[in-house]
Order: sequence, then C-alpha cells, then structure tokens
Amino acid sequence: MPRPGKARQWLVGYAFIAPAVVLFLVMGLYTLGYSVTLSFAKWNGFSPSWDWVGLDNYRDILYADPRLAPDVWNAAVHTGAAMVVVAGGTVLIALPLAVLLNSIRRLRGTLRSVFFLPYVTTGIAVYYAWRYVLEPDGAVNMVLRSLGLGSLARPQGFLGDPDTALGTLIVIMIWGSVPVAMLLYLAGLQAIDPSLMEAASIDGAGGVRRLRHITWPLLVPITVAILLLSVRDTMQGFQIFLIMTNGGPAGHTDVLGLTAYQQAFMQSMSPTLGVASALGWLIFVAALVLAVLNARLLRGTR
Amino acid sequence: MRAGRRPSAAMTVAYVALALYAAVSLYPFAWMVSAAFKDRLEVLEGGHLVPRRPTLDTLVDTWGRLNFFDYFLNSVKVTGLTVLGVLVIYSLASYAFAMIEFPGRRFIFWFFVALLFVPSITVLLPLTILENRLGILGTHLGLVLPFVNGTAPLTVLMLTNAFRAIPGELHDAARADGAGEVRIFLKVYLPLARPTLITVAVLTAVPTWNEYVLSRVSLNDESRYTLPLALEALASGNVPQNNEIMAGSLILVVPVIVLFLALQRYFVNGLMGAVKE
Repeated sequence: MPRPGKARQWLVGYAFIAPAVVLFLVMGLYTLGYSVTLSFAKWNGFSPSWDWVGLDNYRDILYADPRLAPDVWNAAVHTGAAMVVVAGGTVLIALPLAVLLNSIRRLRGTLRSVFFLPYVTTGIAVYYAWRYVLEPDGAVNMVLRSLGLGSLARPQGFLGDPDTALGTLIVIMIWGSVPVAMLLYLAGLQAIDPSLMEAASIDGAGGVRRLRHITWPLLVPITVAILLLSVRDTMQGFQIFLIMTNGGPAGHTDVLGLTAYQQAFMQSMSPTLGVASALGWLIFVAALVLAVLNARLLRGTR
Repeated sequence: MRAGRRPSAAMTVAYVALALYAAVSLYPFAWMVSAAFKDRLEVLEGGHLVPRRPTLDTLVDTWGRLNFFDYFLNSVKVTGLTVLGVLVIYSLASYAFAMIEFPGRRFIFWFFVALLFVPSITVLLPLTILENRLGILGTHLGLVLPFVNGTAPLTVLMLTNAFRAIPGELHDAARADGAGEVRIFLKVYLPLARPTLITVAVLTAVPTWNEYVLSRVSLNDESRYTLPLALEALASGNVPQNNEIMAGSLILVVPVIVLFLALQRYFVNGLMGAVKE
C-alpha cells in the first residue's frame, strides 16, 4: 500500500487526465476497434449482420478483385507521386524562402504574414478560388495567352485536362504546405549561434559552404519533421482531391484516401464498408513504414 | 554586412525573389476578392483583376439572402466550442503528465502522442455509426467531440512540453505554501503557459473553421450547416455564379485571416519554441 499522501496524489493525477481519457475511449478507441473488426467483414451498413471473410478484403484490395485492385494501384501510384513531389517541392521552396527571409531586416514580419496566408485558409474556399483561376477562361490561361505562351494554356482548363490535372493539384498542395515548413526552417535558422557563422567566415568559408557545412546539418532534424508531416498529410489527406476533381478526369487524380472515402460513403447498398476499413488500415501501415524509413535515411546522411 | 557593396546586390535579389513568392501566395486571394466585388455580368467577362464596376451587392446578397450570417454563427459556435474543449481538457491532462506522478503516466502519455499517425479516413465511418447510435450524428456536438479528440496528440505534446519548461521550484514553493494541485495549476502554471495555449488555440481553430469532410458526411439539416458546407451548397446549385462563390469564399476566409493576424505573434513564437526543444 502506498502512503495515503501518495494515493491521494495518484487520484488527483487520474482526475486531471480523466476527461481526456474518457473522450478518447468513446471517440477514439471504440471507433479504432470497430474499424479493425469491420476490415475482416463484408457489410453494407444496413443489413443486421456482418459476413466474416477473414483477410479477403485485404486480398481484394491488393490483387484478388479484378475491378477494385487495379483502381487501388492506380490511386496508389498517384498518391506515391504526390507524396514524393509534394515533400520534395515543399522543402526545395521553403528552405530558400526561409534563408532569404532570415537575411533581410525590413518587411520581414509583413512578408512572413503574407507567406502564411495559404496555411491559414487551406480548405474549400481556397480550393474554389484555385478552381476559378484554373477554369478554361480563368486567369491562369489568360495570363499565359497574354504573355505569348498560349501553347501552355489548357483549353479544357488545368483540372479538366488529364495531362495536367494531377500536376496542378500537386502544385496547389505544395503551395499550401510551404508556410509551416518555412516557419519551422526560420525557427531553426534563428536558433543557430551567430558566432559559429562568424568564425566560419573568418576561416574563409563562403556563403554556399557555410550553408552546406554548418546550416544544413543543423536543419536536418527539422527537415525530417517536415517530411514526416508532409508524408502523413499526403497519405491521409484527400480533401483537395474530393473538392477540386473528385478523382476526375476519368480517374486521373484518384488517390488512396479518396478511394477509401468512396468505398465507405458512395456505394449505397453494396457491402463495401469492410473494404473501406481495410484500405484505411493499409494506408495507415504504409504511412507509418514510409515515415520510419524516411527518418532513418535522412538521419543517416547527416 | 561585412563584404562591402556586394550585399546590396544580393539584397535586391533577395527582395525580388521574396516579392515574387508573395505574389504567388496572394494569387488566388487576389482573384477571390476581385470576383467578389464584380456583378454577374462582369464576372463572366473575366480577364481583368480590378473590377471596372466594383459593387458590394454580391457580398451583401450572399451574407443576407443566402443566409451566410446564420452559417457564420454555426461556424463560430462549432469552432469556439472545439477550442474551449481542447484548452480545458488537454491543459488539465498535460499538467498531470508534466507535474503529477502517478502509475501509467508515461504509457498513457505516449499512447496519446502515437495516435498522430492514425488516418482520419480509417475512423470516419465508425464515427458516423457510433454517433448515430448515440443520437448525436448531424448535431454540432457530434462535430465538436471528434474535433476535440482529433487534436489530442499534437496538443498534449505541446502543452506537456510547455508545462515541463516552467521551473519546478515554482511547483515546490506553492506546495510548501499549502496550495493543492488544482490551485497551482490555475494560479501558477496556466498563466505562465499562455503563449502555448494561444498557439494551441490557433492550431485548433484554423483547421476546425475550414473542416469539410466530417461535416459533409454528418450534417444533413441545412440550418446546421457550417460555412464550408454552405459554400459547397452554393457552388453546386443550379446556376453557380463565380462572383457569389467567391463572395462566399471571402466570407469564409476573412475571419481566420483576422484571427491569425491578431494572434500571430504568439502563434509564431509558440511554433518556434516547439522547434527549439
């Protein structure tokens, strides 16, 4: 038996975490358990009982179902491409932006606020604004034509053209994820001891060498964090795809999250809810594996 | 700058590059504002950013006739309750994780944080089924509870770090004066953690205000719509008008932009503080 004081302290501790734990037990654990269980069954959401099918849903998704599996792989390829390009693009834009922002005095705060707008507003309103400027008669086509780059303009609109739809969405995703990455890099840069830089330039190290040998190694942990968040968001996020193209034109912008969403909510009476759950867990596993690999690889290069 | 004249040329390049990216950041907003101040006919002409016959009618119409004021209030309610819930529930829990010894503390803490990687799509369907059984599907409470729970991993991580960063002597001194944990929490730790609390509030409010997917699959009753759903309904109507859609979009984004600008000092410092740890 612990001392009475100790026991009291424990009770106080449990009382403090109780609301959070109760909310999690109801909203979190129950739904997670339900989702795992459902992934081993076929159900349409209405019939009174589930048909247990073991691992069939997972098999169907990966290879067995001749209609579903190719769709999933198509979506997986798009998801993979988006993941790599969004993660890489975000770092390649956010890092120089942060370095530049860190090098100036005047307007730094104003520019930082402006750069942050895409993060604050990410959602349906901004996606509609992008859709509006990307329309066949939209501002982007107009600008291209007036610059004499009419051959780059897309008469069907950038989202209606199968060749440009996915690429366009990826650009918008990078646009939306640069702000937080830039801010994290900026924080990293400001945490670097200025005397270190001073010493290096006295020793004759130029700007590029200082960037490569001092700044970059110190920013690797931040880069790891940015890539982790980016991989997670691209694997799981499908809101932009749902709102802007819903997978179109003709499946050219299908991604895994969207496929899972459609299996869960858009199949009316077909028993696809188990498949939707199984796909959700496959996405979870893939995101986790990629995140771990990512972190390992980058830490190795330091 | 040490290297004589050269930095000024470098500075010019820096400012030009930064200005270019500022234009890229602002691009869709510029057109959003432009279309929101155009009338039905002018928005069809397209092509020019500055409206030739600027009008407030589109915004006034969208706000009044299309009931955006009601949807705005719904959004304020859902976002406000979510932020309040997050701050109360997770500041209590994080304080316990940081300051109070009890069995299972580390395990429960890491359990909360590990949830960061569970995709929301996996639980979306069971969530609607559960809420249907509880009778809260389609209500604002049915949105607030999962929104609060969804912020748990990041919020617990940030607030626990913030409480740990406060010198422990304060805790010991307050205990020696006979203050209980609730008092220490309310009078000493909560005020000192204010910057992090504000960061958490902004990080919660922004995605909640913009949330679309869960709202889409759970809200049916139009009178309970939040702004994102109202905007979608507007855009998928019979004859969607770009000027009205952009006016609705503007009504949706302006409050978060104002909120962010008002609180950005705390928000930026809080995020930067998180990096340094």
